[in-house]
Amino acid sequence: MIDTTPRFTVDGTRTAPTNWDSPDMRKRIARRYAAERRFKYLGMGAVILSAAFLAFLLYVMIGNGLSGFQRTEVALDVDFPALTGGTGAAALTGPSAENTAASLDLPGVVSVAVEAQYGETEVPIFSSGAWQIVQKRLLEDPALIEARQTMWLPASSELDIAAKEGGSAQAERLLAALRAGDAVQTGFNSSFLTGSDATDPAQAGIWSAFKGSLMTMLVTVILAFPIGVLAALYLEEYAPKNRWTDLIEVSINNLAAVPSIIFGLLGLVVFLNWFNMPRSAAIVGGLTLALMTMPIIVIAGRNAIKSVPPSIREAALGIGASPIQVVFHHVLPLALPGILTGTIIGMARALGETAPLLLIGMRAFIPTPPGGLTDPSTVLPVQIYLWSDEVNRGFVEKTSAAIIVLLLFLLSMNALAIYLRNKFETRW
Amino acid sequence: MAGAGLLFLVLGLGLIAWITGRARAAAFVKADRTNLNSLPSYHGWYMALFAVVPPLLFLAVWGAIVPALQTDMVLSAPAAQALPMDGFARASILSEARAIASGAQDTAFQPMAEQFVPLYRAAIAHYNWIAVAATVLLLFAGGTYAFTRLKPDFRARTKVERVVMGALLTASLIAIVTTIGIVASLIFETVRFFQMVNPIEFLFGATWNPQSTVTPGGDNGFGAIPLFWGTVFIGAIIAMIVAIPLGLMSAVYLTQYARPAVRKWMKPILEILAGVPTVVYGYFAALTIAPALRDFAAAVGIPGASSESALAAGVVMGVMIIPFVSSMADDSIAAVPNSMRDGSLAMGSTKSETIKKVLIPAALPGVVGGVLLAVSRAIGETMIVVMAAGLTANMTANPFASVTTVTVQIVQLLTGDQEFDSPKTLAAFALGLVLFIVTLLLNLVALRVVKRYREAYE
Repeated sequence: MIDTTPRFTVDGTRTAPTNWDSPDMRKRIARRYAAERRFKYLGMGAVILSAAFLAFLLYVMIGNGLSGFQRTEVALDVDFPALTGGTGAAALTGPSAENTAASLDLPGVVSVAVEAQYGETEVPIFSSGAWQIVQKRLLEDPALIEARQTMWLPASSELDIAAKEGGSAQAERLLAALRAGDAVQTGFNSSFLTGSDATDPAQAGIWSAFKGSLMTMLVTVILAFPIGVLAALYLEEYAPKNRWTDLIEVSINNLAAVPSIIFGLLGLVVFLNWFNMPRSAAIVGGLTLALMTMPIIVIAGRNAIKSVPPSIREAALGIGASPIQVVFHHVLPLALPGILTGTIIGMARALGETAPLLLIGMRAFIPTPPGGLTDPSTVLPVQIYLWSDEVNRGFVEKTSAAIIVLLLFLLSMNALAIYLRNKFETRW
Repeated sequence: MAGAGLLFLVLGLGLIAWITGRARAAAFVKADRTNLNSLPSYHGWYMALFAVVPPLLFLAVWGAIVPALQTDMVLSAPAAQALPMDGFARASILSEARAIASGAQDTAFQPMAEQFVPLYRAAIAHYNWIAVAATVLLLFAGGTYAFTRLKPDFRARTKVERVVMGALLTASLIAIVTTIGIVASLIFETVRFFQMVNPIEFLFGATWNPQSTVTPGGDNGFGAIPLFWGTVFIGAIIAMIVAIPLGLMSAVYLTQYARPAVRKWMKPILEILAGVPTVVYGYFAALTIAPALRDFAAAVGIPGASSESALAAGVVMGVMIIPFVSSMADDSIAAVPNSMRDGSLAMGSTKSETIKKVLIPAALPGVVGGVLLAVSRAIGETMIVVMAAGLTANMTANPFASVTTVTVQIVQLLTGDQEFDSPKTLAAFALGLVLFIVTLLLNLVALRVVKRYREAYE
C-alpha cells in the first residue's frame, strides 16, 4: 500500500511522500541489509579467525610435542655374568649397592654388549645415558645380574628422530635393519618428566626446570600474597584521601603496566649488584616476580574488598567491633574468594614469565635439580626458551612437549580460579 | 642452616610468649573477677610482638654485617699474612673458603683456600654463638617487659592494633619503594652510561653496533634510532594492524550480535589468547609462522626476506593483544548510554549503521585509550621478538626483513658477559629507561583519556 500523507521539508515546502515500494527504495533497503549482513559476517569472521589462531597454535604444539612423551627403545642382549665377572645379586643389595654398581663400569658393559650384538654402526644405536637405566634396573632388581638379559633401552636421538618423523639416510637404514629383527618398540618417555637438562635430547627432561619453577613460585606467593592483601586492605579500608595515598595508587597502577623486562633490570641491579644475592637463584627470581605480581594482587584484592557491602561493616561497628576487627573478622573473610582468584591469575602470569628471569641469570645449564632456594636453577619457560635455541632437531619435540606441560599447568590454575570464583563468590 | 633454625627458635618462643600472655590475662579474670579491658588473646599478641619483633630486627641487621665480621676474624689470624695483596685474588680465595666452610661447595679450586676453611669454620661457629645468645636475650628481655605491663585494665588491643595498622601501611608503601627502586636503578646505571657515551648520539644516532670500547667524540655504534624504529614497526604498526580490526570486530560481534550461549563460550576462549605465555608465542612464531612467511616472500619474489622477520613477530604479537583490545572496546561500548543506541535504532537505522555511526564514534575515546594501553604492552613485550624478530638493527619498512627492538637488545646485551664498567652492558639500562618512560607516558595518557570519557557519560 502506498503511503499518501503529505510530507513537509524543513523550509515548509511540500514534497511527495517517500514511496517505499519503488524500485529505487527497495534497492536501497536491499543494499543496507546486505551491508548489515556483511558487517555481521565480518564480526563473526574476526571471532572465528582469532579462535582459529588459538586452535592452530594448540594443534602445532600438540602435534609436535606428543611424540616428546614417547621414546624409541631398542632391545639389547646383555650377558651380565660374562661382562661383570660374575658379580652376585647379593653385592647389589644393602648400603654398598651404589658403590658396587659404580665399580661394575656399566658404560663399558653396555658398549661391549652393543658391540657384540650389533657391531660397528654408522650412527649410535643407544642414547649415551642408556647405562644409567641399566644401573637403575639392576639396583631395583639385583637378581637380573645373575643371568643373560634382554633389555629395552632408549635409542639415540638420531634413531629416535628417524623412527618418529624420518631422519638421515644412515639412521633410516639402521632403523629398517633393527625393525626387521623386531628389535624396536615405542615406550613412554618417563625420563622426560623425571630427568634434567642435558645436551643429548634423548636424555633431556624437565624435572629440574619444573622444580625451579615450583621454588620460584613458592617465594613469589609467600611474599606477594600477604603484602598484596595488606596493601589492598589499607588502601580500600583505612587510607585517608591525601596526596600520599594518591601517590601509592598511581605507583601501583603504574607497576601493573610496566613491561616485565624492566623488573628484570631492577632485579639485576638491586638484588644482584647492590645486595650481592646469588645469580640464577630461585630466591632472586621469586623476589623479582613477587614485585611484579604484587600490584596485580592489590588491584584484584581492592575490587574484591570493594564488593563487600557497607552494611556488613556498619553492623560490625554497631555491635562494638574496632575498625581492625571489622576488617579482619568480617570484610577479609568475605572478600577472600575474590582475592584468591586474583592471586591465582597473577601467579599463573608469573609462572609463564620468562624475560625478567633471563636477565637475572636463570638461563644456566642446570644438569641436576636445585637443592635449595639459593642454588642455581632455571624455570620451565626459560627451559623452553633454551631448548628452542638448540640446533639439534631432537629438541623440537622436547620444546613442544615442555610447552604442553606448561600450558596444562596454566590451564589447571585458571580452572581452579574459575572454580573458586563460582563456588565461593557471593552476589550481594 | 643456622639462620632457619634460629628463625624457628624465635617463632617457637614467640608462640610460648603468646600462650603465656593469654594465660596471664585469663588468670586476672579468675583471681579478681574483674572485666579485662582487652580480650586475653590481645594480651597474648602484645607479649608475642614484644618477644619476636626485636630479635627479628636484630637478625636482619646481623645477617647484613656478620660476613664482614667473620672475614675480619679470619684475617686477624697469623695464616692471613700469606694471602696475596691483590684485592681480587684475595676476595676469591676467601669466598671459596667460606663456601666450603658453610657446606655450599665440596672441593676447592684454589689450593690456598683449603687452609682458610678451618679458620672460617671457627669464625662462623664463634659468631653463631653470639647470634644465638643475643637473640635469646633480646627475646626474653622483650617478653619479660611485656609480661610486667599486663594488667586487667591494660589496653592491649589498642597497642596491638597500632602495630597491625603500621604493618598495613608498610605493605602499601612497598609499591612506592618498588617504583623508586626501578627509577633509581635505571637512572643510576644510565648516568654512568652517559658519562661514556654522548646522550645525543644515543638518542639520535642511526647506527647500532655496540662495542665494549669507546672512543670519545667518535661514532661508537650506540645510536638507538634503528631500535626505536624496529620497536615501533613491530609493536605499534604490524601488531596493531592485526589486533585493532580483529579485537574491535570481535568485541562488536560478541556484544551486539552473538547469542548469549555463543558469547558465554567464545569470550573465555578468546581470553585464553592473553593467558598463553609469551615464550610459547615466540616459539610458535619462530617455528611455524616465520618459515612460512619467508617461503611466501621468496615465492612472490620480495627481496630481503629473512627467516626472522618483523612480520612474523608482529602478527603473533598482534594475536596476543587481541583479547586486550577486545575487552577495552567491550567496556567502552558498554559505557555508551543506551538512549543513544535506542535513539538511533528508533530512527530506522540498521544495527550495523548504529554501531558504525553512533556507538563506535561515541566510544572512540575509550577505544583509543585501550589501543594506547595495547601499544604500551606490545612495545614492552620481550620473548616474542627475542625469538622471532632477529638481532640486526635495520632501518627498513620491509616487513619480511629482520629488524631488532629495544627489548631484544636489552636481553642481548645483558645475557653475555656482564661487565658493569663497559658501555655495552650499561647501554641496556639506558634502553630500559627509555622503554620505562615511554610506557609510563602511554599509560598515563591512556588512563586520562579513558577517565575523561567515562566522566562525559556519567
